[in-house]
Amino acid sequence: MTALIQLSGITKILKGQEQPRTILDGVSLDVHAGESLAIVGRSGSGKSTLLSILGLFDRPDQGSYLLDGTDISRLPERRAAKLRSSHYGFVFQRFFLLKHLTAAQNVAMALVNGQGWLPRRQRRAKVMAALEEVGIAHLAKNRPSRMSGGEQQRVAIARALVREPKILLADEPTGALDTETGALVIDALQSVTARGCSLILVTHDRDHAARMGRVVHLEAGVLTEQVAV
Amino acid sequence: MRLSGRFRSALIIGLQGIRSRKTRTLLSMVSLFLGVLAVVVVQAGASIAERAVLADLELYEGLDGTTVMEMGGSSPKIGTTVVDTVAGRDDAVAMTGMSAIIGEPGVRPVNEGASPFDGNSMYGGGPPMNCDNTGCYEIPASELAPQGQAIEVRLTALTGDVRKFRPYRPQSGEWLDFSSMPSLAPKLVLNREAAKGFEQYRVPAEMRIPGSTANLTPQIVGVVDDADPQPRAYVRMDELTHWVPVSKLVDPNYTEVRVLMVTPTPVEQVLTSKLKAIGVEPYVNVVNSREDQQEQLALMRMIFLAMAGLVLLIGVAGILNVGLATVGERVEEFALRRAVGTPRALLAGIVLAETLITGMLTAALAIAASAGALKVIVVVAGSSTPFLQGVVFPWDAGVAGVIAGLIAGVLGGLIPAIRAAGIPIATVMRA
Repeated sequence: MTALIQLSGITKILKGQEQPRTILDGVSLDVHAGESLAIVGRSGSGKSTLLSILGLFDRPDQGSYLLDGTDISRLPERRAAKLRSSHYGFVFQRFFLLKHLTAAQNVAMALVNGQGWLPRRQRRAKVMAALEEVGIAHLAKNRPSRMSGGEQQRVAIARALVREPKILLADEPTGALDTETGALVIDALQSVTARGCSLILVTHDRDHAARMGRVVHLEAGVLTEQVAV
Repeated sequence: MRLSGRFRSALIIGLQGIRSRKTRTLLSMVSLFLGVLAVVVVQAGASIAERAVLADLELYEGLDGTTVMEMGGSSPKIGTTVVDTVAGRDDAVAMTGMSAIIGEPGVRPVNEGASPFDGNSMYGGGPPMNCDNTGCYEIPASELAPQGQAIEVRLTALTGDVRKFRPYRPQSGEWLDFSSMPSLAPKLVLNREAAKGFEQYRVPAEMRIPGSTANLTPQIVGVVDDADPQPRAYVRMDELTHWVPVSKLVDPNYTEVRVLMVTPTPVEQVLTSKLKAIGVEPYVNVVNSREDQQEQLALMRMIFLAMAGLVLLIGVAGILNVGLATVGERVEEFALRRAVGTPRALLAGIVLAETLITGMLTAALAIAASAGALKVIVVVAGSSTPFLQGVVFPWDAGVAGVIAGLIAGVLGGLIPAIRAAGIPIATVMRA
């Protein structure tokens, strides 16, 4: 079966310093549809850079990035934005909820992004379904300031899921949460794989990593180990 | 559909942004308000002034393109020469002016010298004078007739319908009918100032004209607006000549003979030759007043608009300042929006939508304030200032306000919009 994501020889070099520094050094990685994958490694090992390249925030200096067999490693920004909207969902360590918007409006933000237009009724239905999926539909009208950290992160997950992405990228999503709440968030994230969405989780937490289907270690920009759990 | 979706998205997000930063939006509007108000007021003032100036201009100067021949001197042959040449022609009308007193015989009129009834002595006021070939001298009080119920007007005799050159505005009654047989009781059309005199004073219908063979009994048939502040009456020349010889139609104290002609006409050359033959030098000019006035008014308008533009620039600087500060605070929001697939162009559109909405709201307020203020001024001062009567807020001032608001919105939002579009997505990764 062809992998959904195929990274091959991805290299990223940080320029603009006295000595150019290699952040990613020939990383190759396959991710299949519906698979959950954890990327672990020390700070500065290149995890976030790899996630930036996976999420089309950044481009590799060398190597190829195939999505469904199509090379997207040199995509122009306009097409990359469209692809981010249609294929990717993102969850970050800080939740990045807009404090002046309600939970529902924060989720709807991913739908009001200039990539197609949904009538208000359909938009509302999708938003409520996403909030329902992460178990906080009852908080739809609350603003972030009136929600706990775990609830805010679940709103952020709903925002990532509302466009029904094929790939969900999560960068330290439990970093700002206590252990118990973090576990609930991981549950919510992992549940998306059941519907065929691939989950790629960057984390320091080995317990959370162990709950993924596969764990890869990144050390000094080199993918050193791939462990099937 | 795609464009519409982006437009709607920009509008929705822009409105959300404005709602969440009400105080900042208000401050931007305050800084911009004076600028837009200045533009609206200048445009409104210029339009109202232009309308007022140009509306009356054609009444006393004539329509642009009219050839006007004027002549000085007191030759008794002027009247005969002019009337003989012009009478019965469609392409030229002669106007001769003289003094006429309507009312009780043997008394001095209440407005000696045909001065306006509000007492403005600029027009014929002062002590009564008598003029002859040796000069003018004051008439001794002992020789003056007692003042009584009589009104003095300037009487303008016409050889034809002058309204094709000077479009007098009818106020009431009718204009002189030049197609009918001349009446022995001359028909008069008064101007507004003369009509005011007849409203204020009850005077008998007896008219005295210097040089007439008898006192006349005029019929007043209508009132027109001729923009003349002096009381004036218009009469058919052929009705007047029943009683006043053509040679006496020219007032020796105040020569007022004028011929209005279409351009070109052979009358000009013929009349010029005839007048020169009797030793009178005519002065000919073609009316171009409207165009000249418009040029001057346009220049004034540009100067004032430039000044208003400077005030507007200060407002733009205010919006720009607030916009840059706001983008600086919203770096994470814009990076996040890019992460969820919002194109750079839409991010710029969101910022521009916010500043444009702010500009348009400010424009609406400035226009409403100007229109309201004008209405109040018209209500309060309209009755004492004829210039303000019937004045309405000019639509072009509203358009100028909207354009000023749009320009301010674009200028104030452009740089913040470019900055917002350039925010890297990685901002949310490293936060």
